Amino acid sequence: MLLHILNRSPASSEVYRQALAAMGPEDRLLLIEDGVQGAMPTLATCFASVRGRIHALGDDLEARGLSTLCAPEVEVVDMAGFVTLTEEAERTLSWY
Amino acid sequence: MSNDSTQRLRGDLLVILRHAPHGTSWLREGLDAALVAAAFGRRVTLLFMGEGVTALLPGQAAGPLGQKGTAPTLEMLEMYDIETLLVEAEALGRFGLDADSLMLPTTAVSQGDIAALAASHPLVLTF
Amino acid sequence: MRYGILLMGAPYSSQASHSALRFAEAVVARGHRLEGIFFYHDGVQNAARLAAPPQDEPHLVDAWAELAREYDVPLQVCIAAALRRGLLDEREAARHGKQGHSVEAPFELTGLGQLVDLGLRCDRLITFGP
Repeated sequence: MLLHILNRSPASSEVYRQALAAMGPEDRLLLIEDGVQGAMPTLATCFASVRGRIHALGDDLEARGLSTLCAPEVEVVDMAGFVTLTEEAERTLSWY
Repeated sequence: MSNDSTQRLRGDLLVILRHAPHGTSWLREGLDAALVAAAFGRRVTLLFMGEGVTALLPGQAAGPLGQKGTAPTLEMLEMYDIETLLVEAEALGRFGLDADSLMLPTTAVSQGDIAALAASHPLVLTF
Repeated sequence: MRYGILLMGAPYSSQASHSALRFAEAVVARGHRLEGIFFYHDGVQNAARLAAPPQDEPHLVDAWAELAREYDVPLQVCIAAALRRGLLDEREAARHGKQGHSVEAPFELTGLGQLVDLGLRCDRLITFGP
């Protein structure tokens, strides 16, 4: 199981498509930095194929005023949770 | 490339190159990392993904200000024992390119094979 | 577990270095060993000795140095990427006939091979790009 980290918004960059293309059926996706825009309900549809395997970094949501605008299917994690996700994955790929 | 043969493809390092030549330094810096790994005796697999497939277009030149570009380096890959050059099939299609018309022999892989590739290399670097 | 971090974004211009620093702190807080931080591409700017952000803003260069000293973490800066971007330590400055220098310990200019080594040696290598 691999962890993919995406730091760009699907609204401004197509790199999220590359991340999704590279994801295996068990892999997980973590949205950080501007990538947390992807957790907003209307944009989260971009990630329908990885429902149940998608997370967003809480600090980045908060800083952007997005804490209450996070789609329920995106699991919010803190920094410790981020580290945990990397522990659980065999390796991590970053898409930026 | 069939899923089976992708899974048999193992190396120490998979370098995914997603950027085109000249516009940014990503392609150059990604290639440098791959070359250094190969020079140190590591088995390296290169995957040209997205815009990265245009790195293999023949007939490239130095930049207008004399920037070296990456074509000369790519031509040297064989010398570095980097033989496994993969290109994303969907990207070739998007850019209307034929694997046969690229500057080096490559094997096309589909997006669906990328996960298996990443899983079969202990280290993956994306550029 | 042994963790390595590859950082390729410059401080201030993108969030990469902020995320990387916070991640590094969380890694050690969870009891893991941080084997090294490798600075490549614009990430070499994190070693800029002369960075002078306003007092009320984060000082990434100092923060990395503090992390390095507290947890004995090597800070390795790709020498080729650094030289191109004007990040030179005293030795390189002298070699290139430049007045002054822009990189000092604990940051260390080193070859790109160290990145490959770090990545293969660690259990986890996390990349933070711009």
